[in-house]
Amino acid sequence: MSSAAVLSRPPRRRLIPWLYAAACLVALFELGVTWLALHPDVPPDYRAYYLDRSTTCLDEPVNGSYSFGTEITFRSSPDDRLIAPVRVCGWEGPVGDGLHAVGESARLRFAVPYNATHLTLMLELVAVDMAGPQGQRVVVSVNGTRVGEVRAVPKTPRRFDFTIPDSLLTASHRLDVELSFPDAILMDPQDSNTRKRSIKLLAGKVV
Amino acid sequence: MTVLQPDLSLARAGAVRLRWPLAATLALIPAAFIGIGLVIRYFGYAASVSDETIAGFPMGMCRWDCSWYVYIAEHGYHHFPTPGMNAAGNWAFFPVMPVFVGLVHSVLAMVPTMTLATAVSILMAYATSIIAWPLLGKDLKAYTIFSAYLLAGPWSIYFTTFMTEAAFILITTAALVALERRSYLAAGIAAGLLSATRIVGVFMSIAIVAQLLGDHLAARKSWRSFVPELLRRPDIVLSLLLAPLGAFAYMAFLRWYMGDGLAFLHVQRAWARAYGNPLTFVWEALTTFPKSGWIPTFPQQLATAVITGFVLTAILLLRRKWAAGTFSIISLTVPLFAGMASTLRFTAAMAPLPILGSRLLARNWAITALVVLGFFVADYYVARAWIEGALSLV
Repeated sequence: MSSAAVLSRPPRRRLIPWLYAAACLVALFELGVTWLALHPDVPPDYRAYYLDRSTTCLDEPVNGSYSFGTEITFRSSPDDRLIAPVRVCGWEGPVGDGLHAVGESARLRFAVPYNATHLTLMLELVAVDMAGPQGQRVVVSVNGTRVGEVRAVPKTPRRFDFTIPDSLLTASHRLDVELSFPDAILMDPQDSNTRKRSIKLLAGKVV
Repeated sequence: MTVLQPDLSLARAGAVRLRWPLAATLALIPAAFIGIGLVIRYFGYAASVSDETIAGFPMGMCRWDCSWYVYIAEHGYHHFPTPGMNAAGNWAFFPVMPVFVGLVHSVLAMVPTMTLATAVSILMAYATSIIAWPLLGKDLKAYTIFSAYLLAGPWSIYFTTFMTEAAFILITTAALVALERRSYLAAGIAAGLLSATRIVGVFMSIAIVAQLLGDHLAARKSWRSFVPELLRRPDIVLSLLLAPLGAFAYMAFLRWYMGDGLAFLHVQRAWARAYGNPLTFVWEALTTFPKSGWIPTFPQQLATAVITGFVLTAILLLRRKWAAGTFSIISLTVPLFAGMASTLRFTAAMAPLPILGSRLLARNWAITALVVLGFFVADYYVARAWIEGALSLV
């Protein structure tokens, strides 16, 4: 059928205003939705991860439930049930060789007793093999304040202790621990930064 | 549907006697392939798992994205934060297929979701066969090949389990049939549904414009008069506005439900998609040779599918099938910017391509029979590969 044939059969005259009106309504709806879509109403964590892409670690509201003083093994084991409440974001696993950090930072959360003071955070880390002998720098922050920087090396797990000043303890009695990886490795130039590799976490404890 | 009517010459020869046999033939061919395909895939399933049961068959065929669709059908979309406390919300999965199955499930709650979804998908594939009749040149051989392709062919896994492909190919075919008849309002409504089925469905609006432009130029009219003429046709204007309406409705829902109307795009970050040049992706895939043996690697299989898709698209455009060609080329190219993942599935479910392929293969009944038998054999092995997790089928 040719265009001429199409154009020779316009809609019935009495329908024309209704069709234009319907088209206007649909156009208005679509314009309105476009405006709303371009102005999302989302929490700051959502905005940082999905929209601004300023972090590779989406802060999830895990409760940080933790038996104070217990050492958690982050290798795949019967202790897996202990991991879920403290694992916030930026991790893959656990598998046999630990919890793998993915992206440029990863987070843990530990709930601590309301009267806890003079705390020490212990983390056992090993760098991924492709990091080479120089290893991976890991900057550790607690409740938004930097408490130390360490270097994890491949193949040889190391334990690091971080003293947590009492001034960092908050009314929520939680330690929000962020591990940043300034030397994290992009495995392929086209990869997303959420896939960067750096370290594996083997164990952790707050005492 | 008028597609079930026989050719007028046949009708004139004896309307009462000939109308029924053609309609019956068209109904029975895909019906037979439903049964054959189910038996073939069941044997593939039984050969791949150790605890096969007929009741477990639908769930046994549920792989990859299927589990996301089951979740949406049973529980709906994730809020933020997600229940799994991870970044991978299910907003990337467009609603038509899972919501439709969910609605059916709300009526037939006693039937397991996967059993219902399998039945719905098979019925959709069956309906696709039927409505594609005019696009297949009303050629019974091409119709037989296309029906076998959908219901007992190598990629029947996509059209007979709980994926979005059964709805996508059905609605794409409906839109193309409407365009073939220049029923622009019907095409716009179908395209509107398509845009809520998969994100590339929105490109049907461009395909409609391509068809309009092709017709306009074929009538020896100037480019300059194209837009003014369109604007004088409110039915066409409305059709073009309806075409992306499904996607806009989904965006409105997401904005109301969790605050971000573009969550289906933004959530891709959780899958760490690598974006790049499609040509580079295809070349790298094509040159990923097997380390040993002669079986093509998964990337090579995907690259072969993509190249086949583009060759068929080129033939469509050479044949001046503007809507089908435009829709295919855009819908195949855009996902390639995010790499080769799922490109076999996308190509297999691009309705114009298997329709054209069926027409090209339907030379005579001997070739048709050979093609269909080949489909049966491939269906068995692909079903096994699907269950065993072959990456090229994702």
